[in-house]
Amino acid sequence: MSFTRMMEGNEAAAWGAKLARAEVVPAYPITPQTELISNIATLIADGTMKAEYIKVEGEHTAMAAAVGASVAGARVFTASSSQGLAFMEEALWQPPGRRLPIVMCMVNRTMAPLGGLRPDHTDSLLQRDLGWIQLYCENSQEVLDTILMGYKVGEDRDIYLPVAVCYDGYFVSATATPTTVPDQAQVDEWLPPYRHEWYSLIPGQFKMPPQESFLKIRMELEEAHQRSKKVIEAVDKDYKRRFGRGYDGLLEEYNCEGAEAVIMTMGSMTGTARDVVDEMRAKGKKIGLIKMRSFRPFPTEELQKIAPKYKALAVVDRNNSFGSAGGGIVSMETARALYSVPDKPLLLNFHVGLSGTDVTMRQIEYMCKETLKAAETGKVKKVVDWVETHDLGEVM
Amino acid sequence: MINEKFDRRYSDILIQGGTQCCPGCGGPLFWKIALEALGPETIVYGDGPCAMCALRNIKVPFFAIHFSFIADGATGISAAMRAKGREDITIVSSGGDGATGDISLGKVSAAAERNENIIQVCIDNEAYMNTGIQKSGLTPYGAWTTTTPTGKESNKKDVPLIIAAHKVPYVATASVAYPRDLQAKLRKAKEIKGFKYIHTVIPCPTGWRFDPAKSVEVTRLGVDTWTWPLYEIEKGVLKVSRKPEQKPVTEYLKAQGRFRGLKEDQIEHIQAEVDARRKNLIAQEGKSLTL
Repeated sequence: MSFTRMMEGNEAAAWGAKLARAEVVPAYPITPQTELISNIATLIADGTMKAEYIKVEGEHTAMAAAVGASVAGARVFTASSSQGLAFMEEALWQPPGRRLPIVMCMVNRTMAPLGGLRPDHTDSLLQRDLGWIQLYCENSQEVLDTILMGYKVGEDRDIYLPVAVCYDGYFVSATATPTTVPDQAQVDEWLPPYRHEWYSLIPGQFKMPPQESFLKIRMELEEAHQRSKKVIEAVDKDYKRRFGRGYDGLLEEYNCEGAEAVIMTMGSMTGTARDVVDEMRAKGKKIGLIKMRSFRPFPTEELQKIAPKYKALAVVDRNNSFGSAGGGIVSMETARALYSVPDKPLLLNFHVGLSGTDVTMRQIEYMCKETLKAAETGKVKKVVDWVETHDLGEVM
Repeated sequence: MINEKFDRRYSDILIQGGTQCCPGCGGPLFWKIALEALGPETIVYGDGPCAMCALRNIKVPFFAIHFSFIADGATGISAAMRAKGREDITIVSSGGDGATGDISLGKVSAAAERNENIIQVCIDNEAYMNTGIQKSGLTPYGAWTTTTPTGKESNKKDVPLIIAAHKVPYVATASVAYPRDLQAKLRKAKEIKGFKYIHTVIPCPTGWRFDPAKSVEVTRLGVDTWTWPLYEIEKGVLKVSRKPEQKPVTEYLKAQGRFRGLKEDQIEHIQAEVDARRKNLIAQEGKSLTL
């Protein structure tokens, strides 16, 4: 039966893996992902979930065992964070290159040194060039739903891509929000058992994709990513029809009607931004919010389509790329996407919330005001702005 | 008539001819011998480099990643087969010496600790041969490689004993020069549940510097000089598999160019080590190795 209760992101993710009937879960603990895998261990121990949980000795092995199990025909789930993801990286290249639809949670946490355990998007964005689909979630419910959608998208025979469900450590992973766990039978009906048409390791039925040229494999991977945009949107719509919740596919425009300026966020800060935008809207400010949900594939065409409506667009980056062309990673990608658009808006970039510092309502209000100012004056005062360097007064 | 017989025999062999391996390589020889013992209901998981040349030609399902991925992929395959109720299939995880003993030793150790139901084989040609003869942790003392131009100064890592320390059900050493012994060990391993480890030294004429025609001969000398003694450790109890009349190590060393630079005192040192080990092995036979 379906039920609703307060649930932390990590628990919701465990329920997502359970509902998807993940058969093999190779995992290694790392803060802030740990409660996710210990929740899975509990679900298996009390008989709620049936899966082979491999307690591996490191993240590299976790992903390698995931690859082995996926090739051998099992639906696989795993999760990691930060240093663990970096340690896993050599193995993280395998699933996209071999087109294995593994779903994993990347529970965002900053990278060492000096970052501590707190969240920003630097860890998962470091893995952006590997070929994984990356979907960023805002709360527990979205995490659960996105894991189910991840399998549906990744296992589509025209796609066959691994999917990373990314969410901020603590702000999502350890914050309880009301979460509805759908009925297992209903999920089973929606998500058929995993079957990869390219592979079989069973003796007598051995099947492996032929060795193609490296260029061809890479080009096909890119094409699969481009195709996956439509599939992510379609699966999201289908999920909404079936379960009553949807997330507008690749990106969501929130309160954007008639807006002249928009800020674009990713992850947990989106919830705070919704409130600020609502309040400013009530005061008659022409500000809107874009939530970037899919970073890979990057919603290039979607952004190109909506961007000309606005005079200024600010990208809020919870990451950094030192010595870059200018600003954070999401902002650079956005600039590339909009470069060829004739009526493109002015582009601003804010760095905020690095290493888990709070992204406050006052900071978001500041960013909104600066973006509105740019829209009004037609000038960008500061292209790349580190928000925390400003004294914005008391937290509101 | 003869042709038909040959064809049938050939179709029974679970490795295709015409591998890309060097002449005299022990890799294809190992898989020919091993798969004859293991049978077609086997999945082989292996590493990339040297061994890959042979693995590409085997006729059972195989999957390989890189040599930093030893035992881990097999763990996943084993879990998937368990999930699918196909525990009847034998899963073999293979690795070279550099893979098993160096870069993936932690992975092999962890799989042993988890007592994964796989047969882990180490196909040991005593150096990184695929990259062009570089020293590994399993290169023997005194051997020339391109990174030990004056001979290796430290000892060969004893991986079988390291794995035995994990208290796994079965550990054995083997040699392609003694195929029946190797096959008996694989057959035994196939019947045991849990982690099995079989370490086989295979010849590499290219890296060891000798005439490829003498591959088996040189490898046999390794066993007959007790440089590479054959034993098994079943449930912690040691049994020496072969006790050949001991030949002097010089016969083995002089047969290979990689030991050409050894000085007399070094050869004496190697002989003394081999003698001590032989004595130990015979003394410990039938005893539990648990400390």
